[in-house]
Amino acid sequence: MLLDVIQGTENGGFVIIQDTVECCGRQLLQSCIAAALHRLCVHNGYTDPLGWSEHPLFTVHQFISEELNVHLSGSEESKPATLVIDSLSWILRHHPPAVVCQRLQELRRGGALRRVVALLHCDLHQQGIVGSLCHLATAVISVVPGDRGQQAVAKTTRRTKSGKVTHEEEYFSVKEDLTVTVESRPSHHGRPQTEEDEREVDPAANLTFNLRLSEGEKEAKEKLSLPFVFSAEKKSALLQPRPGSGRIVYDPDASDDFDPEDPDDDLAV
Amino acid sequence: MMLPDLGSLLGFSTEKIEKGDFILLSDRNADASFLINHFLSLYLRAGCKVCFLGLVQSFSHYSAVALRLGVNLVQAREQGQLVFLEGLKDSVGQLLQQGPDSEAYPMGFLRGSQTDLRSLFRFVQRSVGGAGEWSPSILLVDDLSVLLSLGVSVEAILDFSHYCRTTVCHQLQGNMVMLVRVGEDEDDEEGPELLLKALTHQCSLALSIQGLPTGYCRDIHGQVEVRWKERGPGAAGPGGALAQKKLLQYKVHDKGVSFFARGTSSAVL
Repeated sequence: MLLDVIQGTENGGFVIIQDTVECCGRQLLQSCIAAALHRLCVHNGYTDPLGWSEHPLFTVHQFISEELNVHLSGSEESKPATLVIDSLSWILRHHPPAVVCQRLQELRRGGALRRVVALLHCDLHQQGIVGSLCHLATAVISVVPGDRGQQAVAKTTRRTKSGKVTHEEEYFSVKEDLTVTVESRPSHHGRPQTEEDEREVDPAANLTFNLRLSEGEKEAKEKLSLPFVFSAEKKSALLQPRPGSGRIVYDPDASDDFDPEDPDDDLAV
Repeated sequence: MMLPDLGSLLGFSTEKIEKGDFILLSDRNADASFLINHFLSLYLRAGCKVCFLGLVQSFSHYSAVALRLGVNLVQAREQGQLVFLEGLKDSVGQLLQQGPDSEAYPMGFLRGSQTDLRSLFRFVQRSVGGAGEWSPSILLVDDLSVLLSLGVSVEAILDFSHYCRTTVCHQLQGNMVMLVRVGEDEDDEEGPELLLKALTHQCSLALSIQGLPTGYCRDIHGQVEVRWKERGPGAAGPGGALAQKKLLQYKVHDKGVSFFARGTSSAVL
């Protein structure tokens, strides 16, 4: 599923790539750019994003649909463009989250854009903000370190227009030419596959004494019934009174004065 | 494995300085300021132009430490190789000033209506610019967390580091080294933690200093985690989304620091 989302087969999509300090998502973003590369137009918001110099090229305050549409219509291509944002965390530092969500929706509805792909550092924001932005997205790819240590795992969640949600986890790697290869799917418990190769070691081998049983000894062991392990027959046999075993015979003496209310004769009346 | 000094740990020497690096130093309940002194002496010995924002100690303190490491800061300043901002002295001057708000001064954010660090950035820009006999340009900051205690917001500090990175690392192809300190018993912990995470996303190499988890030791002063994000062993390989990490221990001597793999300290072996 990761490859489908990166290729961007559907229109009107909004893809968010979430990463943390442990695992960087920028390479995946770059492979999205490479996949959408029919024509690349870079708007330099890096050099002077706050307009501190005399002639800023593109500032963060220009992140509104009117300004962006001006930039997009400035190009000669008539095909709708893919907008890649690196990174949304930067914009969230300078605009309130509600405004960012609003502007993203305006951009998507505008029609000049085929797709929006954005990088979001989810450990820099509160969970609510990350949640709100992901709610707007049609696909969310979270990049986390995998159990194997050397590889990263991409957890992709995709929502179709009909409302169906699909989720998949895949090990992936990005080559030097920015193509993404999906390696395999991690198992549910995240156990590495090398565990299947381990064999049980026989503890009774290579000893100076004999721990093994012969056939006759094994049979005798199976037949042995343990004293406090009760089967149903044994239980019922013990509970029913058997003739000739354990009976108490009591012959009262002449001086025995059995008082049923005081059998021990120790109550002071 | 004994790595005699910082340069060999990071793979660069006075003959060969990597360009365009943003090195982030951080410490948690330990003191990473020895790293700042070592980077300062390394870059001065390599013939770089250094702009040093010394916000926590006086010039004479750094000068005394640098002399033990074999570098003369007074001479470097006179020759124009080192531009030093003495934060402590300048800030007192700013606060006691009677005149109008001086936005042109680097520490002008202490007083006055500006909430961002534009004037500090302008000072950096003036100091590192200008082609001269010293190259490449280096920016050292000790340290950024003190700006938080002075009332500067995390966003303003991140904007400042973004602009410094654009100018120093990308336009001038120099290096930038910044220190962030995180303590564990401060009331407001969100500020330094958020600052550290955001800067870790931006940096290319991160060195985190911590005390030993088992407590104080006379022969091992702490442990350092080195994290390469864009370069380093195996960074160009598949799955480069994951940062390459290495955990080492260190001991600070009178004239240097030695780094060694865990468990190989000379006191142990």
